[in-house]
Amino acid sequence: MRKLARIIWREYWTRLRSRTFVLSTLGLPLVMTASLALPLWIASRQSRHPMRIALVDGTGRMAQELARALEQTQGRGPRLNVGELIERPASLPAMRDQLRKAVLERRLDGFLIVPDDAVSTGRAEFAARNPSDPLLTETLTQALTRVLLLERLREKHLSLDDATLFTTPVRLGLFKIVGATEAEEHGQTILPAVFLATVLYATLLMYGMTTMRAVIEEKSSRIMEILLSSVRPIWLLAGKILGVGAVGLTQYLIWATAGAILTAYAKFAAQMLSPGARMPRLNIPLEVWIWLVVFFLGGYLLYASLYAAVGAAVSSEQDAAQIQMPVTTLVIASFVLFIPVMQNPASTTSVVLSEIPFFSPILMLLRISLETPPLWQIVLAVLLLALTTAGTVYIAARIYRVGVLVYGKRPSVMEILRWVRYS
Amino acid sequence: MNSAPALVLEAVTKRYATVTAVDRLDLQVPAGTIFGLLGPNGAGKTTTLRMILRILLPDEGCIRIFGRALDDSAQDLTGYLPEERGLYPRMVVREILTFLGTLKGLSGAEARRRTDLWLERLGIAGWAQSRVQELSKGMQQKVQLIASLLHDPPLLVLDEPFMGLDPVNARMVQDCLLELHARGTTLILSTHRMDQVEMLCDAICLLHHGRAVLSGNLRSIKQSYGKNTLVLEFDGQAGGYDLTPFASRIAHHGRVVELRLRPGMDHRSVLHFLLQQGAPVTRFELVEPSLQDIFIETVQTAHA
Repeated sequence: MRKLARIIWREYWTRLRSRTFVLSTLGLPLVMTASLALPLWIASRQSRHPMRIALVDGTGRMAQELARALEQTQGRGPRLNVGELIERPASLPAMRDQLRKAVLERRLDGFLIVPDDAVSTGRAEFAARNPSDPLLTETLTQALTRVLLLERLREKHLSLDDATLFTTPVRLGLFKIVGATEAEEHGQTILPAVFLATVLYATLLMYGMTTMRAVIEEKSSRIMEILLSSVRPIWLLAGKILGVGAVGLTQYLIWATAGAILTAYAKFAAQMLSPGARMPRLNIPLEVWIWLVVFFLGGYLLYASLYAAVGAAVSSEQDAAQIQMPVTTLVIASFVLFIPVMQNPASTTSVVLSEIPFFSPILMLLRISLETPPLWQIVLAVLLLALTTAGTVYIAARIYRVGVLVYGKRPSVMEILRWVRYS
Repeated sequence: MNSAPALVLEAVTKRYATVTAVDRLDLQVPAGTIFGLLGPNGAGKTTTLRMILRILLPDEGCIRIFGRALDDSAQDLTGYLPEERGLYPRMVVREILTFLGTLKGLSGAEARRRTDLWLERLGIAGWAQSRVQELSKGMQQKVQLIASLLHDPPLLVLDEPFMGLDPVNARMVQDCLLELHARGTTLILSTHRMDQVEMLCDAICLLHHGRAVLSGNLRSIKQSYGKNTLVLEFDGQAGGYDLTPFASRIAHHGRVVELRLRPGMDHRSVLHFLLQQGAPVTRFELVEPSLQDIFIETVQTAHA
């Protein structure tokens, strides 16, 4: 056991000091932040250059109001600048030709035509070089709907106050039932679920492959024989898996600490700038954290042992690329199945999928954070996962003890299966 | 150490998918000796060594070291310098040696102390804080040797210990091994260099197709062949004289020729023949056959 501790420690300590660890610890949050911040940045750049459009009002009654509605839009779409207002043009086709020319010469970005019968038909037309931006469409539709609706109400001689009352949209409050209590829902259920499942997916894949590479490295540097003359292969395998796993947990810890500090700082800053402001909160209950650790450990041991077996079977990373496919497919499959399970977490399909050991780490965790499944389902998933993991560790140890001494040609799957029976 | 042999193999067999690598091998290595495990490529030497070190488990038979069954804890009694050398290339020399020492049961502090001692002894103390990949091949070789003997094992197994070493370093390593031998360490040497075996080994075992075809004390093996080998040295090239009527085997080494006399043939008749021919003979010596000769003859006979 002392030798096992030595192996775990060496694996852990050399990895912790490696450049790869520093880069991935800093890099992953950076990439995640960038993937969130980049669309925002691009959006903010776009809004600095509003779209110049012309508005052709065939009715001659709502040009000013519509222009104001278009320019004051609060949506996520591009900002609009109504540079030209044309009421009741003498010839619509001629006006169209003229505006089209302006767009082609880039004096305008597009033009909106509201025909004279728009109030009754509810039809309008927009032309631009690229009119299919869904956010732009949304902005135009909202502004048009609102102004046309007000115009229709006015035709029925209703006051503006009445009109405002009629057009007030419904705000639906969402409540999540947890045990005997209810909690108001602001997306705090779906966000953590997606967040946790994504983190689990990324780390299972990352650390599974790290284990595989560590085994290949020991094989290709030919230190394996010396190690095996000192300790049993099963301890080497266990030390490798536990050492790399400990590095993973350390990385979690660093991220969690940094995240907590940043959140506290952001809260403090928000309070300073606008007192009483409400921060969107990621409320993850304690039991979900506990299950996260349980399923990370189970899933990690399961996949790391499979990846270690792959590493033991091959002599180079190129050979590994092919033979690891079935294992990687299993990880990716559980991530792909994520969406149907998220949409309907209590369906029979979801329940069955989340009990399958190769998927349960991600899918059961997803179900737990969406709506608490019956305890027996969670316990069953954990039991099945533990049993399967015991099986894969046993098989991986057998492949490992034969494979680590075999060099040269990549073995076929049949050969590897023979190794399991042999020894 | 007690008086039990350092190593005993009884009817040890190891089969791979299609071949029997080691076939009912019996072997006994007395404690405190230097033992040579010889054989042509593919004879089963590496498999045998790996079983002794418990890297592989035998399919049949039993292995004992110093009288006890070979189990996990017995791995601490052996040290191994494998033919395929390998260390973690990015690890620091002192750290990797300490790590490997602790895997053989040393405490961390003791492993560090001995590492420093041995690095000093082999003249590479200045490289203790370098990464393995920064070392020359010869230096890596020395580090590897230290790794095998750091825990002072009573049984040290060395596969081609002089491979890749220049004469100065080879000398240094040889002195090291002889010193260990003098302190009572049992050494098992596997090599293709027969001259080194003749110089160092007390006893040998010659493996062929997984079986021992020749084994025992090196002196008595050579004596059993008798003084029937003639070494001739000429001033100038040795060719041009037909010596086949006298010899069953002839080996040419440039100016030197080695003859194995036919049974009943008197060595003086060879001298007589050469003098008649006026050959410029500068050396004429009757000796025991060289181990190299015995090796080749035994393997070829086993083939037939």
